[in-house]
Amino acid sequence: METFNNFLGGTVALFSDPFGILIFFGGVIGGMLFGAIPGVSMLTLAAILLPFTAHLSPEHGIMLFSVIYCTGVYGGAITAILFNIPGAPENAPTAFDGYAMTKNGQAGKAVGAAVMCSALGGTVSAVIMMIATAPIANWAISAFGPPEIFALVFFGLAVASSVGAKTFWKGWLSILAGLLIAIVGLDPVGGIERWDFNMPYLLAGIHFIPTILGFFAVTEIFVQAEKKARGAYQAPKLSVDFPSLAELIAHKVAVIRSIVIGFFCGILPGIGATLAAFMGYNEAVRWSKDRSEFGKGKLEGVISSETANNAATGAAMIPLLALGLPGGALTAMMVGVFQMHDMEPGPLVFINSADLVWVVFAAMFFANLSILFVGYLETKTIINLLRIPFQFLAPMILCLATVGAYAVRGLTIDVIVMFVAGAIGFFLRRSGYSVAGIVLGLILGRIGEQTFAQAMQMLHFEWSGFIGRPIALGLIIAGFLTLGGSIYGAFFKKS
Amino acid sequence: MKLKKYVASVGTIAVSMALSANVAFAACASDGLPASMEGPGGYPERALTMIVPYGPAGGSGQVAQAMAQAVSDLTGVSINRDHKPGGSGTVGMTAFMATPADGYTVLEHIDDASSAHALDSSRPNPAEDLIPLVISQITFSQVYIRTEEDRFTDWASFVDWVNAQGGKATIANVSKEGSMERITMKFITDATGMEIQQISFDKGAPRYGALAGGQVDALFEQPGDVRKFLDAGTFKPILTILKEAPEAFADVPSLTEAGLGFDPLYRFRGFYVHKDAPADRVEWLKWAFQKAYCEESYQKYNESKFMTLIESFRDTEGSRELINNTVAQYRDVYKAMGLEVK
Repeated sequence: METFNNFLGGTVALFSDPFGILIFFGGVIGGMLFGAIPGVSMLTLAAILLPFTAHLSPEHGIMLFSVIYCTGVYGGAITAILFNIPGAPENAPTAFDGYAMTKNGQAGKAVGAAVMCSALGGTVSAVIMMIATAPIANWAISAFGPPEIFALVFFGLAVASSVGAKTFWKGWLSILAGLLIAIVGLDPVGGIERWDFNMPYLLAGIHFIPTILGFFAVTEIFVQAEKKARGAYQAPKLSVDFPSLAELIAHKVAVIRSIVIGFFCGILPGIGATLAAFMGYNEAVRWSKDRSEFGKGKLEGVISSETANNAATGAAMIPLLALGLPGGALTAMMVGVFQMHDMEPGPLVFINSADLVWVVFAAMFFANLSILFVGYLETKTIINLLRIPFQFLAPMILCLATVGAYAVRGLTIDVIVMFVAGAIGFFLRRSGYSVAGIVLGLILGRIGEQTFAQAMQMLHFEWSGFIGRPIALGLIIAGFLTLGGSIYGAFFKKS
Repeated sequence: MKLKKYVASVGTIAVSMALSANVAFAACASDGLPASMEGPGGYPERALTMIVPYGPAGGSGQVAQAMAQAVSDLTGVSINRDHKPGGSGTVGMTAFMATPADGYTVLEHIDDASSAHALDSSRPNPAEDLIPLVISQITFSQVYIRTEEDRFTDWASFVDWVNAQGGKATIANVSKEGSMERITMKFITDATGMEIQQISFDKGAPRYGALAGGQVDALFEQPGDVRKFLDAGTFKPILTILKEAPEAFADVPSLTEAGLGFDPLYRFRGFYVHKDAPADRVEWLKWAFQKAYCEESYQKYNESKFMTLIESFRDTEGSRELINNTVAQYRDVYKAMGLEVK
């Protein structure tokens, strides 16, 4: 009851202040727009706005960033679905099936599912955040150390071997290629230089955003250009039909599973929405009766990915507010907003600034709900971009992707990486390897290598140390079982 | 034997830093500079660019933003921050060295640039290959434990407890090869005989979470970075890695009080320009950045980060002295540790 009263208090404070309302809707629209532009993500908007928040009240500043976070994570789904350009890494799995649906003439259904599931995932996550921030945060950091996070990554990779590749072996080779790319640059623990070929810029490693843009957007342009040259190009059929309620209800298990996964990934410091989206998608594949349908335009793929990444948003606020631990880049910037107002997120915020916390909670709740309405309007309009002829659309997409790749770190090498990835992706697609597997290997490889090294340090380089950590052990066993099942399937099922 | 070598090899950095732990900074370091200064020949005619070799949310990103804001408030000149993270600052440094030496691009960097040059002299020396405009943050490190910890409560009981664990105790750290953290921990373990496993976390949040969640037994960090945990009473310092404890941490043993005989290493952050930039422009930049240090907004920021507990300001000459001493100190330590110094 007290929680509800506090929520009402936060809601009244939010909507009784005209300037607050202005900032709220500015954040909603800004997050969606910047989230939808590849590379120029919600982080770019947040970085631009950061100095200006010094002139806002703490409530307005924190609220603005929280709203941008919620809607920015959703915004990238639109371009992922319509053009195969994920606006942000957490929208990459959305493109697997979302873009295939666009090609199948179901763009409206895919975008509609993204809108509804993003709103749902984010709203549920916000509600859980309001109810149990402090206990969840304390549980997460106590129960999940590097060994558990490594085990989670291992499990994720084991599941991912079946995503997007024609055979089990091609799936694993794709993932291993991603893992190999992930080791370029300084090693995350000892700072040892690897595979830099005496090029200082390679010390920064191969960033996954240019790689995603290359494998998805550039490859797609090449594929379509080739079809155009052969006269086999077919423009995607336009449709603005939303998924029916019955279709969504039919996927209730996927939604609930993705909420749990997304929330869980969100509360782990340094993990966040990207892993949430991939894990949500992977689990959908793993539990599916017909895995071969994924990647070809299955609604469940979009639902799983978009529910999970938005479910991570509310969860990521939990360690930030309760413990002062940001889960990702945007929440780290929120720490900066707090500090500009002589405040520090952490347990004292609930005591010293309870009003602020509840305004933020209310704003996040309503920001997620607003995805539903603003997203609906956006869908009905933005989908018409598909009417633009390919010869005009393709250069626009290439320009956007190039700007996006460069904007990540301001490095030309990222643009080169994007085009190289685009060319490689073009050939990989024909040969049945999985670009999704490569991207996942790259993203999870970084986290996995770091947490593995940390885990081994913590366990004094004794493998048996995992046995004494039940969660890590459980995840590793689950990973091996998944792997065993896949190998069994690859060897024996066909025969 | 090795410890003696380290101690003997450690330079005169502590003297040159002129640490003054108990001084209240009523007057600011660059108050003596003129209140305004005309840019030479209309310079700067456009916004400056500040290359920051780290992300916007970390310590470097924050100090870059605070200094850029202070310089803009003082001079009316905008500064665009260009973050180029990666390679422990190497990427940002390389990008900066490739920019024209026209006085329109400045670099933010930390002591890692000095230690990188100490290990490999082909890397730019911030004191000679660049012109330091100002060093605006100098801080020290501490060892922290959880406040609710009951296995040990202070430095002495911590050392006893670690020694009883037979190498199983852990401390969260940024223990990259040759880093300030790793070398300082080497000093500590050699001086105390402790065997403690360092767990390397390159990002702050997982590092702090590891201590808060009990994944590790202790944390090596600078006080400004964990201030919120100190204010909230989640962490408490048990050792200050300074010869003499500052007033704010008077009840925390310093190196002297803990019987540790090595000279401390410091974390410092500063701003640089190309050495070949036009001299008159460099003079204006020196004035702008040194004067901005005393802007109210910057002082407030430094105070919030515990950066006023020891004197954080170094002008160009002071910066060079600090960097040169640091490079010499690191180089000697690296050689003593058997690392390949190029």
